[in-house]
Amino acid sequence: MPKLQRRDYYDTARDMNWAFSYVSEDEVFPEELSKSFGIKGEEWWGWDEPYKLTFREYVHNQAGKDAGIYSIRSTIARSNLYDNLDVGWKSAIKAHYGAIPVPEYFASIGEARMARFGRAAAWRNMATFGTLDECRHGQAQIYFPYCLLDKDPQFDWAHKAMHTNEWGVIAARSLFDDMFTANDAVSTAIQLTFTFETGFTNLQFLGMASDALHVGDIEFGALISSIQTDEARHSQQGEPTLKIMIKNGKKAEAQKMVDQMFWRSWKIFALLTGISMDYYTPLESRTMSFKEFMQDWICRQFMDQFKDLGMDLPWYWEEHFLPELDSIHHAYHLGVWFWRPTVWWNPDAGVSAGEREWLEQKYPGWNKQFGRHWDVISDNVRAGRIEKTYPETLPMVCNCCHIPVCTPSIGKAPRITSHKGRKLTFCSEVCEWVWKSQPERYDTQLSIVDRFLAGQILPPDLNGALQYMGITPDVAGNDAEGYVWDKMLRRLAAE
Amino acid sequence: MALFPLQANFRGDFVVLVVPVDDGDDMNVVAEKVAHHAVGLRVAPRDAVKRVYYNGKEVPSETTIANSGIQPMDWIEVGYVE
Repeated sequence: MPKLQRRDYYDTARDMNWAFSYVSEDEVFPEELSKSFGIKGEEWWGWDEPYKLTFREYVHNQAGKDAGIYSIRSTIARSNLYDNLDVGWKSAIKAHYGAIPVPEYFASIGEARMARFGRAAAWRNMATFGTLDECRHGQAQIYFPYCLLDKDPQFDWAHKAMHTNEWGVIAARSLFDDMFTANDAVSTAIQLTFTFETGFTNLQFLGMASDALHVGDIEFGALISSIQTDEARHSQQGEPTLKIMIKNGKKAEAQKMVDQMFWRSWKIFALLTGISMDYYTPLESRTMSFKEFMQDWICRQFMDQFKDLGMDLPWYWEEHFLPELDSIHHAYHLGVWFWRPTVWWNPDAGVSAGEREWLEQKYPGWNKQFGRHWDVISDNVRAGRIEKTYPETLPMVCNCCHIPVCTPSIGKAPRITSHKGRKLTFCSEVCEWVWKSQPERYDTQLSIVDRFLAGQILPPDLNGALQYMGITPDVAGNDAEGYVWDKMLRRLAAE
Repeated sequence: MALFPLQANFRGDFVVLVVPVDDGDDMNVVAEKVAHHAVGLRVAPRDAVKRVYYNGKEVPSETTIANSGIQPMDWIEVGYVE
């Protein structure tokens, strides 16, 4: 039987819409799963993705990609490549593996929801590929660290993390549930694919792959590059969805969704990527600071997109977002290091003399703002007072981003408010705005401090908290370099 | 005498902490309990008196939590007197 040419069948296969006669549109696309924003059925039919693909091509491409990464993995497994990696870099990939692979599966739920409840056939076609992509990303990013389990039990958290109540996991899961696991199809397209993937992860994966190659982690570099090629394709579901919303007079609704999710994504991005780039990546392999990466890649990308689509910058861009680029991830790093038993990787202090010089150069004023804390910590390490480098209580956590309230580091007070008699604390004006923009969505979620105060964490101390978070002694984080950074400082001081 | 959780940060520290105090504690005790989690850990110690600030105003040292108007999980600051 002769094969049809692609052009002869493609549009029929990818974009066959029809008007319903046996059922109502609302039965096919229930609002809670699909959300029309009041845009009528046929208005969505013009949805047109820029990247077109047949199922046959998809399978062919993906099989090739998988063959590539798994063959690299099996080749590298016979080498001592991992053993020779920098300890800080190992921490960066452990943090990544705990925070990302299982949420990739969650993302396949969001993609599958779009594949069923997306309002145009072409969109559902793209989202079907997206569903398969995200399953692949989950599988590969659990399999690769699983292969390193014999070298380090912390890699177990690639699978375990998202099944625990570890504080960073609560923060990440809160973001991902909001963005895609528990979101309607149209909002998922705007918030996951347009805001998070196009804006953050697509570029982040490019940067991470480049950094991995710089430090000699060929395996991780290959894995991340391969994933990025999928991201680049399925992230393009956002723009056509946004265009239809704007064309139908729903720009304000779309803008609000972007503003909400850009901010929420930024907070987790600063926590994970900010720390990894500026502290965990070995100094000699750093190609740019996190701030430079944000400015050159993320900010520019977003500003171009907003301009092209007739959207506005988020309302908080100048006053709140840009100032945080200078500081908030430094505060997060200090907190993660100080509360290091509460994470599944070994935080690299990253404050040797050379690193401090680099930080001061990239972030003028770093020594005055953050170096003074590390001076006190270094004094304690030098004097053997290690107990003084550990916490005895919990930090307060924001009820929106679920990250410790570090805003005193930038001279701002926490924002304490109430909703229906419940006391709430936010780290910033923008987190408060996000939460209050949909209180019904967030009000039932308890922060880890709320849980502590409600008596869910027993005994009510740090050990009880570690137990509640699922942290066992074999994975509890410790200083990545065994405080060698301080020994170097000590030697310099003696000289 | 009852356990009384507060949000607190020592001026100069980078983070807000959950600090359990007692409702019978006066502000000198509260200041020391907050300082315990920050001074000498991340904030350099100084030879100066510590004070508690609530809503931007200094709370007199002899005031106890119970008669200060501070509510559970309110935010206080503790700092050295300049």
